[in-house]
Amino acid sequence: MIKQLSQRLLGPVTLLLLVLTFWLGLWVTPPDRIQGNLVRMLYVHPAVAWVALYVSFGTATIASVLYLWKRTRSGTLDRVAHCAMEVSVVFIVLTLITGSIWGRPTWGVWWAWDARLTSTAILGVLAIGYLALRRANDDPVLRARRSAVFAIVSAINVPIIHFSVQWWKTLHQGATVFTSNRQLLVHGSMAWTLLLSFLGFTLLFFWLLRARYRLEVLREETQRATLDLALEMRQREGAR
Amino acid sequence: MPSTETSELSPVAPPKSTSRSRWRSMGVLVVLAAAIIVLLSQGILHSLNYFETVDQALHQRALLGTRVFRIEGVVKPGTITRTSSGASFVLTGPKDHEVFVDAHGSPPQLFQSDIPVVVVGHFTSPTSLDFDGSQILVKHTATYIAAHPHRVKAPNRTTR
Repeated sequence: MIKQLSQRLLGPVTLLLLVLTFWLGLWVTPPDRIQGNLVRMLYVHPAVAWVALYVSFGTATIASVLYLWKRTRSGTLDRVAHCAMEVSVVFIVLTLITGSIWGRPTWGVWWAWDARLTSTAILGVLAIGYLALRRANDDPVLRARRSAVFAIVSAINVPIIHFSVQWWKTLHQGATVFTSNRQLLVHGSMAWTLLLSFLGFTLLFFWLLRARYRLEVLREETQRATLDLALEMRQREGAR
Repeated sequence: MPSTETSELSPVAPPKSTSRSRWRSMGVLVVLAAAIIVLLSQGILHSLNYFETVDQALHQRALLGTRVFRIEGVVKPGTITRTSSGASFVLTGPKDHEVFVDAHGSPPQLFQSDIPVVVVGHFTSPTSLDFDGSQILVKHTATYIAAHPHRVKAPNRTTR
C-alpha cells in the first residue's frame, strides 16, 4: 500500500519540488553580492553534480557490489546498475554543460583543465565506457559480471573528484554547501533553495531510474516473447 | 536433392560469442584507455595544480624566469586601471607579497577589486616583479551572500 502510494506520488512530488526550486531560484531569492544574477545557476549545477557523482554513480556502484556478492546476486541488481549508469551519463553531461554555462561569465572561460573538471570529464568517459562494455558482451552473465567489476573500478574516481579541490589548486571553487569545518557558506533563502534543489534533483533521479528500469523489464520481456515465438514457429515448420 | 537436405539438417557449430565478446570488450577498453590518457595528459599538461599563488611565484621567482604560467592572488582595492589593451592592477598574496599585473584582453564580467583572480602570463624579465598577463580568470569563492541593491526606497519609489 505504502509502496504503491510512494510510487504514484514520486512523479508529482518531483515535479512540484523542481517547479518550487525554479520559482524560488528565479524570482524569490536575491542576487548575490558578487555574482549578481549569475548565482541562480547555484540552484541547478551543484544539485545536478550531486546526483551525477554520488546518487546515480553511487547507486550503480552499490548495485554492482551487491551483484558480485554471491548471496545477493540477481538480475534485478544488474538491471539497476545498468539503468542507474545510463541516468548517470545524462547527469554527468548536464553537470559539464551547466558548469560551462556558469563558468563562462564568472571565470571568463567555458572550460579549464583543472583537477575538478578533468576528473569529472574522466568520470563521463568511464560511464559511457560502462555502457559500451555492456553492448560488447552477448552473454548476459558475463556481461553483468564484467560491467559490475568495471563500475566498481570506475567508482575510485568519485572520491578523487570530491577531494580534487582540496588536494590540488583548482579554478573551480571549493566545497559548495559546507566547508571542511561544517560551516554553511550559503546564506538565508539561497541556502534553503539550494537544499530544495538537491532534494528535487535527487527525486528526479529516482523517478528516471524507475522509468528506465520498467522500460528495461519490458524490453527483456519482449525479447523473450519474440524468441519464444520464433522457436514455436520453427517447431511448427519442423512438424510440417 | 537429398545431399542438400542432409547438409541443412546437420548440426552447425555454435557461434563463438565468448571469444567475440572478449575481443569487443578489449576493443572498448583500449578506446577507453586512450580517451582517459588524452584527458589526463590535457589535465597534466595544463597542470592539475592550476596556478601558483603570488607567494609561491615569488618564492620560485628565479626558477620561473619569463616562462608562461598562471598566477593567483587577490586584486588589491584601488589599484585597477583600465588600459587601452585591458587592465592593470596589483595582485596580493596571503603573506602580503605584491605583483604588478598588466593584462591584455577584456577582463571577465566579475572582475573587480578585492576578488581572487588567476592571470595567465609571464614576468616581464628574469628579475622583474611586473607580470605581463594575456588572460584574466576570476576565481570566485564558495560564499554566497545576498546583495541588497534596493534595500532603501524613497517615497517616490526610487532607490537610494
